Amino acid sequence: MKKEGKTRDQKKAGLGIGRREFLKKAALGASAVGIASITAPGKIVAAVSENAENNGGKQRRNLAMLIDLRKCVGCSSCATACKSENGVPLGVFRSWVKIVEKGTYPNVSSHFLPRLCQHCEDAPCLRNCPTNATYKNDDGLILINEDRCMTCGMCVSSCPYRARFINPETEVADKCTFCAHKVMRGELPACVDACPYGARIFGDLNDSNSEIRKIMDTEPVQVLSPERGTKPKVFYIALNRSTAETMGGKYEELG
Amino acid sequence: MDTDTRRSFLRKACGIVVGGAIVFAGPSYLVARELVLRNIFMDEKQATRALKKSPFIEVETALRAKEDKTEANVLGRPPAINIAALSNGRESFVPCACWQCVSRCGAIAVIDNRTGKVKRMEGNINLPRSNGRLCVKGRAGHQHLEDPDRLLHPMKRKEGSKRGDDQWERISWEEALDLIVRGGEIDGRKVKGLKTLRDEGHPEEFMFHYGRMKGSTSKLIKSYFLAAYGTKTIGNHTSICEGGKWTAQELTWGKHYDVNDVLNTNCILIFGSNPIEAHTSHIPFSQRIMEMVKNKHVPMYTFDVRLNKTGAKSTQWVPIKPGTDLAVVLAMTHVVIAEKLYDQAFYEKWTNTTIADIEAHVKDYTPEWAEAISGVPAKTIKRIAIEYAKAKPGTIISYRGAVAHYNGVMTERAIFMLEALCGYINAKGGRLMAVNGKWKSSFKKPKGHSKKLKILDGEGYALPTHHASHQVLRMIKEGAHGRPHIYMTYCYNATYANGDCRENIEILKDETLIPFSIAVDVGYGEGTKYADLVLPDAYYLERWAWEDMVSQNQIPEYYIRQPALPSLPGEVRDFQDVVCELARQIGMGDPAQGGDGSFMIQSAEEFVKDACEHTPGVKEAGGFDYMKQYGAWYDRTQQPLYEQHAKVLTPEKLEGAIVDEKTGVIWKGKPGQDYTTTKKAYKKYVGQMIGNIPYKGFPPDKINKSGYLEIHSQFLVDKGFPGLPTWMPIPEHENLKPDELILTTYKVAMQSHSRTQSNAFLSEIYHRNPALINPVTAGKLGLSDKETVEVTSEIGSIVTTLDVRESVVPGVIAISHHCGHWAHGRFATAGKEKSPFGRDGYPDLKRIWWKDNGVHPNWIIPNKGDPIAGQQRFMDTVVTVVKKT
Repeated sequence: MKKEGKTRDQKKAGLGIGRREFLKKAALGASAVGIASITAPGKIVAAVSENAENNGGKQRRNLAMLIDLRKCVGCSSCATACKSENGVPLGVFRSWVKIVEKGTYPNVSSHFLPRLCQHCEDAPCLRNCPTNATYKNDDGLILINEDRCMTCGMCVSSCPYRARFINPETEVADKCTFCAHKVMRGELPACVDACPYGARIFGDLNDSNSEIRKIMDTEPVQVLSPERGTKPKVFYIALNRSTAETMGGKYEELG
Repeated sequence: MDTDTRRSFLRKACGIVVGGAIVFAGPSYLVARELVLRNIFMDEKQATRALKKSPFIEVETALRAKEDKTEANVLGRPPAINIAALSNGRESFVPCACWQCVSRCGAIAVIDNRTGKVKRMEGNINLPRSNGRLCVKGRAGHQHLEDPDRLLHPMKRKEGSKRGDDQWERISWEEALDLIVRGGEIDGRKVKGLKTLRDEGHPEEFMFHYGRMKGSTSKLIKSYFLAAYGTKTIGNHTSICEGGKWTAQELTWGKHYDVNDVLNTNCILIFGSNPIEAHTSHIPFSQRIMEMVKNKHVPMYTFDVRLNKTGAKSTQWVPIKPGTDLAVVLAMTHVVIAEKLYDQAFYEKWTNTTIADIEAHVKDYTPEWAEAISGVPAKTIKRIAIEYAKAKPGTIISYRGAVAHYNGVMTERAIFMLEALCGYINAKGGRLMAVNGKWKSSFKKPKGHSKKLKILDGEGYALPTHHASHQVLRMIKEGAHGRPHIYMTYCYNATYANGDCRENIEILKDETLIPFSIAVDVGYGEGTKYADLVLPDAYYLERWAWEDMVSQNQIPEYYIRQPALPSLPGEVRDFQDVVCELARQIGMGDPAQGGDGSFMIQSAEEFVKDACEHTPGVKEAGGFDYMKQYGAWYDRTQQPLYEQHAKVLTPEKLEGAIVDEKTGVIWKGKPGQDYTTTKKAYKKYVGQMIGNIPYKGFPPDKINKSGYLEIHSQFLVDKGFPGLPTWMPIPEHENLKPDELILTTYKVAMQSHSRTQSNAFLSEIYHRNPALINPVTAGKLGLSDKETVEVTSEIGSIVTTLDVRESVVPGVIAISHHCGHWAHGRFATAGKEKSPFGRDGYPDLKRIWWKDNGVHPNWIIPNKGDPIAGQQRFMDTVVTVVKKT
C-alpha cells in the first residue's frame, strides 16, 4: 500500500505538498475536515482524530447535492464548467445533461436530467474495486486514488449510473469528485457554481441548518434507481419516473 | 442591524472598505457572490463564528442572520466587490465582459497563477444583470484563447492563387498596413489604399462591414475613425437578426429596443422567441423568466413551431404554423375587445386610435378564423387572451421567429396593439423602452460630411431603417449605385450568416466586383476565406472596451472589458489599436505629427480610460482605476424607469418649441412649418400635447411620427400598406403542394449563430443538426428516422439526416443554425478544416471524436427581405424533402 497516494484533483489543487506544510498555507477558513477529506485512505485515521480535536468532537459532514429539475433548462453550463475546472478531455464527461422528450403531438413535453456520479452511500464501484483505489472520504465523497488504479474497468462496468469512464489522458478510472479540491477550500463544486438558474444546491446533510437539509426536510426528493439500494447522494426534485428510466446511457448527442 | 456595526464587521471580517464598497479579502469570490446574491450582511458575532467554518458553510450560517433592512438591501442593491482584490496566490481575478453573444454579460476571467492562463470564466456580481453567472457559452469562453486554429499573423493571398483557395503567405504588420493605407499589388493586380481613396475624394469607396461591433468598439471605429475618414458606406448585420422588429417599433412607439419586465409581470406570452436558449439579453432575461415561472408560478405560454427549451419550461407549448403568429395576435385582440378587457383610458389617451376603430378593424379576426390559419385551437386562443388581459400586467416576448417573415413588421405592430389595449406599454410588468448606460467622451466627434454608396438598403423596401445587410453583396454585383474599391469586414461572416451562401461566395470571389477585400477576425473562417488580406484580431478576453447593454432592471449599467492577460499571442493586435495606427498613417492623426487632427485617439485603452474619467457616476466612483478593479458601476440609489412617456415636460424643455396644429407634436420647427411633411422634422421633436398637457410621449427616431403610440401608421398607408395591423399571408405559403414543407431555423443554448463553433467544449456538445420533422409528416412523405434526405428549395439542395420527433409542428422541417461550417477551424469542422498556419500537437485535436459537423441551412434559404423593413425572411422558405438515393 502506498503511503502518500494523491488524486489527480489533489495535484490540480496544488496539494502535492506535505499536509502539515499545506495546513500552514491553507486559505483562511478551510477547515481540517476539508483537508482530511481528500487525503488518501492510509492517512485518514490520523487526520480524523486531529480533526475531531479541532472541531470540538463534532460529527462528520455528509456532503450531498440536490438538483431541482424544475429549474434545469438543459443548457449544459454544468457540463462545460466541469470540463474547465477538472481538465476533462474531449470524448468523456464527468457531468452531462440527458434530454428526454415524451408524449405525442401536440401534447409533448421535454425533460432535462443532469447526470454525474451519485457518490452512493453503498457504492458498487467501491465494493468492486480490487485495489482499493476507490475510497470514501470523511465527507462521504467517493474518490479515486489514481496511483492505485490498474485500469481494470471493474468500477466502470459496475456503476449502474454509468458515471465512470477510463480517462483517455491518464488511462485510469475517472468520474465526478464533487470537485473535492474546491470543496476542501470551502467552495462549491463547479457545476453548482455554474448553473445560471441556481438549480443545484450542495451542502452538508448532517447540518440541520444547511439549505440542502432544510429543503430535503420539507420537499419531496427522488433519487435515481432507488431499487438498487445504492443510496445515492445526488437527490432530485421533480424527477419524473419515466425520465429516470431512460437515464441509461452516457453522454448522448443532444438534439 | 445598524450600519455602523455592519461596517465594523466588514472591516474586520472581510478586509477593508474602499469608497463605501467592500473588499472581500478573506473568503473567495464565490462566497462573496453568494452573500451578495442573497442580500446577506452579517453581524459581527455571527461573522466571527461563520469564518471559523469553511466559506460555504459560512454562507449557510449567514442565511440564518437577521434580515437586513437597510435601504440598499431592500432595493436588492448590494455593495460592490473589488474583484481584482480577490486575487490570491493561486488565482487572479480580472473583471471583464463576455462577448460570446450580443448580451455581453459582465464577466470575470480567473487566471491560474501557475500556468498564467485563463482557467475559467465567472459572471460579475457587481452587475445586477446576470447575478454573477454566465451561460454555457460564456463559461467556455476562455477555450477560444487556446484554439490551435486561431489567427496569429497577418496573411496575404499567395500570388497565382484565387480567393477561397486557402493559399496564404505570412506578411508583417508593416507590409499589411502599408498595403491597406497606400495600396499595392495583390496577385499582380494594382489596388488602391485607404489614403489614396480619401485623397482622391472618394472615401465612400471604402466599405466597412461589421457583424458584431458594440459599445466603445463601435464608437471608436464607426463614430470616430470611419466618420473622420469620411465614409458612411458602413454595413451591419441587423437585417439577418431582428431588424424588422426594430422597424416595427420605430413605426409604432418611435425608438427601438424593448425590455419585457418579467420580474414584475403576471403572465408571459412568447411568439417566436426562445429566450432560455438564445436572446439578445440571454442569461439576464432567462434568469428572470425562470425565477417568475418556477418560483412565482407565473403562467407562460410559448407559441412556436418547435418545442424548444423555453417551451419545455412553459405552462404550455402552443404549436403554431410558421408565419401565422400575426393571425393569433389579431384574434387575441378580437377576444380582448369582445370581452371588454381593455384599458380604455390608457389606450385612448396614448394611442392615435380609439377602441371603436380597433373593434371595427378586428371584427372578422375571430379565434375560429385564426385557428384555420394557424392551427391553434380557437378555444386556446380565447383562453390565453383572456388570461393575458386579466393578468394586469402581462408581457409579450417576440423575436426572430415572429419577425423574420414576410409579415414580420405587421406581427410586431399587432403585438403592440394588443399590449396597448391592455395598458401594458411602459407599465411595470409590461413591455418597456429599454435603458442603458450613456458613456461620455472628451474626444470631439469628427465634423464634416461623410459620403456613402447607396448599397446598404437593398431595393424597394418601405423603411429599411436597419439596412438590408443580406442584400449588400447583391447590390455590389448589380453595381447600379457604385461599388466599393476596398471591402473590409470585421467580426463578420457574410457567406455563412446570410441566406444563399453560394451567391455570397461567388460575389466575394469576384475581383472585378470587389477589387480589394480585407477581413479582420480572430479565427480563419468563411468570413476570412475569400479575402485578399487577413488581419488577426484579439479575442474579447484580450482587448479593451466599455459596454452599455440594456438593463433588465431599468437602471443604466456601465461596465468594461479589459485584457485578462498581459500580452497577446503571436502577432495578434487589437483591431481598435490597428485603426488608431491606420488613422496616423492616413494622415488623420495629431497635427503635431503632420495629421489633419480629425482622429486623435491613440489606443483603445486610452479611449476607455477617457470615458471612465468623463462619464458622470463612473467618474465619481473612481473612474478608470475603479472600473479596472470592479469591472462595473451603476447608480445604486436610482429607481427603475417606468412610464417614460407620461413625463410632463418642464418649461425649460419647452423653450423655443412650437406646437404642430395637425398632430399636437411639440417641436423646434419654424413657425408655419408643417411637422409631418418637413424633412427630418423628427430630429426636432420635443414632446406631445395631449389635452393641453405637454408630455414626453413616445419620441420618434426614424420617421416624422407623432408622440402617440401609432397603432395606425399614416407612413405605411402612404407606402401602400394597411395603416392598422392587418393579416398578411406569406405569399409562398399560400397553396402549398402536398409534398411541400416550410423550412424554419432555430438556435440552441450551446452555440451562438456562427462564431462559437471553434470552441472545443461547445462543439463537442453541439456539432450536428439533423432535420427535425413530425412523424405524421415523415409518414406522409414515406420517410423514416435517421434517413438521409435531400432538402430542396428554389435555390438549391442540401443533404442531411432526419430526426423524426413529436415536438415539431406537422408540415415543417426545422434545421438549426450553428453547424455545417466549411472553414472556421478543426473543432467547428469535425477535424476536417485546418486553418492556414494552424498549429498541431494539441491533445484535444486528436480527441475530436465527432465525424459529422452537420449541415448549414442557409445554402437553400434565399436572400429575401420583408417588404417593409427588408428583414431577411429566414423562416419563409418552402422546400421538398425526398429520400437521398
